[in-house]
Amino acid sequence: MSKGTKTKTATYVYAVVAAGADIPEGLEPVGEEPGELEVLDHRSLAAVVSDVPVDKPLGRRQDLMSHERVVNAIAENMTVLPMRFGGVVANDQAVVDELLEQNHDYFVWALEQLDGCVQFVLHGRYDQDQLLGRILGDNAEMAELSESIRGTQPDATYYERIRLGEMISAEVERQRVADAGSAEERISPFAVAVATKEATGEDGAVNLSVLVRREHRSDFEQAVDALGDEWGDRVALRLIGPVAPFDFLPEPADEDGA
Amino acid sequence: MTVSQRQGGSRVDRAPQGDLAQVIDLILDKGLVIDIFVKISLVGIELVTIDARIVIASVDTYLRFAEATNRLDLHQKGGKSLTETIGGMTESATQGGAKGTTKGVIEAGKEKFDDYRGERKQEKRRS
Repeated sequence: MSKGTKTKTATYVYAVVAAGADIPEGLEPVGEEPGELEVLDHRSLAAVVSDVPVDKPLGRRQDLMSHERVVNAIAENMTVLPMRFGGVVANDQAVVDELLEQNHDYFVWALEQLDGCVQFVLHGRYDQDQLLGRILGDNAEMAELSESIRGTQPDATYYERIRLGEMISAEVERQRVADAGSAEERISPFAVAVATKEATGEDGAVNLSVLVRREHRSDFEQAVDALGDEWGDRVALRLIGPVAPFDFLPEPADEDGA
Repeated sequence: MTVSQRQGGSRVDRAPQGDLAQVIDLILDKGLVIDIFVKISLVGIELVTIDARIVIASVDTYLRFAEATNRLDLHQKGGKSLTETIGGMTESATQGGAKGTTKGVIEAGKEKFDDYRGERKQEKRRS
């Protein structure tokens, strides 16, 4: 609302929540000359917004982190529909008229679907030396191949290297599938939903997004700890969250359904 | 509001939010996109896109796995099934080679990533 007279501003949207939301203090908005976070109420909904100057590009590292931090901080205490980064509309009135009013029924429904839930992200990385050591230890053909390329010029043994790498890669993939499966099995009793995503990077072991009811949070975390103990040094686990339910936003129904 | 804090003893690293790559994974790919956001161009704000993820072509992955087994043997002194090795001379030979490969990988990965992003955008647009 504090529209500066000097620069033209537009309204950046972070998230949609239920009306009357109490947004945590002290959060840094996106943009180079950030104003303040505001909550625009409309009927049973509210949008969390801030002003951004229209003559500055958005997308610095800091902007991305700010967006994430704001929606996560909100998610900590209430059900939230997070917007994708970079949602900007002309002004506050447009947020009410075009966003909240026009999508009212969908937002209300989506908030109901996610009511009481938060998302966690579980990342795991293999200890690569351990993993490869085990694979070679279990497989004489690979071990021999590995030995045969030792000390050779990469170009001279290019095809052997490809062959070895391909075999290892297939083994790693098998391990990944097995590990993702057992991780999911361990945590799904405490989850509303689990989404298995691709574990990126050569040492990527698991990448799971998990939707958890708030009251099951500590059970869920204990299950993650138990998994960490079971896997030991083999996989380094990292639990991120609670974050806003980015991976579990319900698909809007058909236009006329709403 | 019970926010269960980590008591010691867990092997699992806890973080309130991910690093930049993980954040990007969520907030650039996911989250609600509402039709009116196409008005972003009307509003005139330029969105800087960030190519932070590198998609690695599989052949290069294979080569690096092969490379890694060499390194592995050096400090593991040979697993059960590994016999005496020639050792020693490996280091310099492999290092030179690896560097050249890596550079190509990143460039190729970037192209891949751009393609990938393009696809993703189109796919999302319909919602």
